[in-house]
Formats: sequence, C-alpha cells, structure tokens
Amino acid sequence: MLKKILSNKAYPVIFLAVIVIISVSLLLLISSITSPVLEVRKAEETKSTLEVIFPEMGSYEIEDEIYVIYRDGEKEGYAFRATGNGYSGEIDILVGLDTNFKIKGISILSQTETPGLGARITEDSFTGQFKGMDLSEVALKPEGGGVDAITGATISSGAVVDAIRDKMAEVIDELKE
Amino acid sequence: MDASNKGGGKKFLKEFLKGIIITNPVFILALGLCPTLAVTNTVNNALGMSAGVIFVLLCSNIIISGIRKATPALVRIPVFIVVIATFVTILSLVFEAYFPPLYESLGIYLSLIVVNCIILGRAEAFASKNTVLLSIADGLGIGLGFAIALIMISFLRELLGTGGIEIFGRQLFELPGLSSYPLAFFISPPGAFLVIGILMALFKLTGVIKDE
Repeated sequence: MLKKILSNKAYPVIFLAVIVIISVSLLLLISSITSPVLEVRKAEETKSTLEVIFPEMGSYEIEDEIYVIYRDGEKEGYAFRATGNGYSGEIDILVGLDTNFKIKGISILSQTETPGLGARITEDSFTGQFKGMDLSEVALKPEGGGVDAITGATISSGAVVDAIRDKMAEVIDELKE
Repeated sequence: MDASNKGGGKKFLKEFLKGIIITNPVFILALGLCPTLAVTNTVNNALGMSAGVIFVLLCSNIIISGIRKATPALVRIPVFIVVIATFVTILSLVFEAYFPPLYESLGIYLSLIVVNCIILGRAEAFASKNTVLLSIADGLGIGLGFAIALIMISFLRELLGTGGIEIFGRQLFELPGLSSYPLAFFISPPGAFLVIGILMALFKLTGVIKDE
C-alpha cells in the first residue's frame, strides 16, 4: 500500500504541494502575530521623531502624507517630509510648521554627506536657522533668503534649502484649500 | 530511533563534536564565507547571525530528516529549499518585530541564510540520510562550529578596528590607545579576508587542523 503511493507518478508533485501549503500557513500565522508589534513600533518611532520638533505634542493624524499635530485637543501645527539630492545621496528631512505656516523646526532624518563638511547639516547651528521662517525666507543668503550655507558644503546646504522650499510650497497650497 | 539507538549517546557526541573542529564549516570546509565576511565587523552582529544560523540549521535538519523516507528523490532539493526558506522567513519576521537594531545591521544577509551552502549542504549530505537524533547532533555541532568561527573573527576585527568590544549596546571593555587610534582597516571587508586567512594559518600551524 505504502509502496504503491510512493511509486505513483503524481506523488512528488503532491508531496511538494503539501509542503508548500504547510509552509505558507505557518508563515501566515507567524506574520499575523508579529505585524501588530511592528505597527505599534512604527507609530512610536514616528511620534518620537515628531516630538523633536513638537516637544509638547499630544497626538497626530496623517492626511495625504502631512502630519497634523494636536496639543490638548487643539491644532498645534503640521509636519511633512522632504527629500533633497545632496552631494553624495538623498537627504531626508522632517519639517514642522506652526498654524501660520511658519517653520517651527526641522530635523534631518537621514543623510550620507561627507563627515565634517556636508554632514554638518545635522548640527543645530544649521538647522536652528530655519526656526520662525516663512516660505519666502527659505533660500540661501546670496539668493536673497535668510539661510547661511555651511562653509565648504554649499551643495549640501543648498539641497536642504531647496528640498524644504519646494515641498513647503506644495504643502501650504494643499493645506490652504 | 532504530538500530542506531545502540550506543546512541556516543554516536550523538561524535556527530556533535565533528562539526566544531574536524569539519568546522568556516575554517576547514571554507563554506559560507560570504556572510562570514559581511557580518563579522562587530561581535554583536556575529552573535545575531550565529543564533539565526543555528536555529535554521537545527530546525531544517529535524524536519528534513523526519520526512526523509517520504521525500521523493525527484523533488528533494525544492523540498529542502522550501523547508529552509520557511524557517528563515520565520526568523526574519521575529527579528524584525523584536530585535529591530539587529535586523537592520544584518540586512540582506539574514534572508540570504536561505541559500547558505552550509545549511543546504547539511540537508543534502546528512539530514536526508540520517535519523532525527543524529541530525540534531549534526546541526548543533556544525552550527556551533560556525558560531565559534564567527565570534573569533569578529572579536579580532572589532577589537583592532574600533579598540573595544560592544555587545547589545553595552561597552564591555576598551583598550586605551587603540581606541583613540583604531585600525579601521580591520572593519572593512579586506580586513575580514586578512583575519580569516591568519586564523586558518594559525590553526594549521598549531595542528588543530589536520590534513585528512
């Protein structure tokens, strides 16, 4: 009886199919356990990055990739991500706006610029300059704006400024509608 | 557990010990060198990778030897791959959810355990021909041999390359002098080749490795 099953021509196919079915159901089970854990952690990560700019925030909502920040039930501001092309890769920036669309603060989430030169865009002396600016001021000083570029890192500085200005214009248009 | 149960303890021990020294996967068989080179830049990564490989090797050895009599020779390789891939996916889901920093630093090498020749090699050469018990011994031994090799290489690389050893975010110790002027070369991939080569040569010299 057993030998007959084992020598059947269809047996290898059926055997493989059974193994695959067992494997898939096991993986579905495990991912249903781990995916809620992942979601909770991702939400916590987003919140802690937002808290860098809005230290006293209560909760946030996401609308069309724009974060709306609430504090004590009232709207405190907005935040969005901007991506710039730096000297040696993408620069990921989080920008916070207050309800008058002035910059509340920015934070560089990730960058691969040259250490000691372009990488200084993450320092407070650079990111702090943006505080309180409105859209028209977001440009390097030679271009009529209010941002001092980092010495020796004009490309990195410009990439941050351009990325923020372009995305900020888009976001303000969207919010005003 | 048939005839081999007689004197099983001794045989178990023999299969277990063989993987650690006589057929150490990295130093003797020179298998799985790609992940070895990539993840041995810190002791922390080496520990994570070792735990992963031991888990996958042990589980896949158990399942494959358990179903060896029912597995048709025609589809045995696809069956092995599916079994191994299942355990690797479980591992990467668990790492991603519960050990995110480790998951990120191991990167693609975690999923590449699927095609790690050590694991597929053990499935084909040992687990598909031996009892479950002996396959457990084999998996543990080879896995531990891999882990010992990884830890030795990463210990030397991290020590020389950064001047200290850091495990699970805690600084274990630091060498004054070396930590201010670390030999960053050892953290880079060529440094891994050098360390593996020197260790192999040392083992050969001291007679730990014997020509068969």
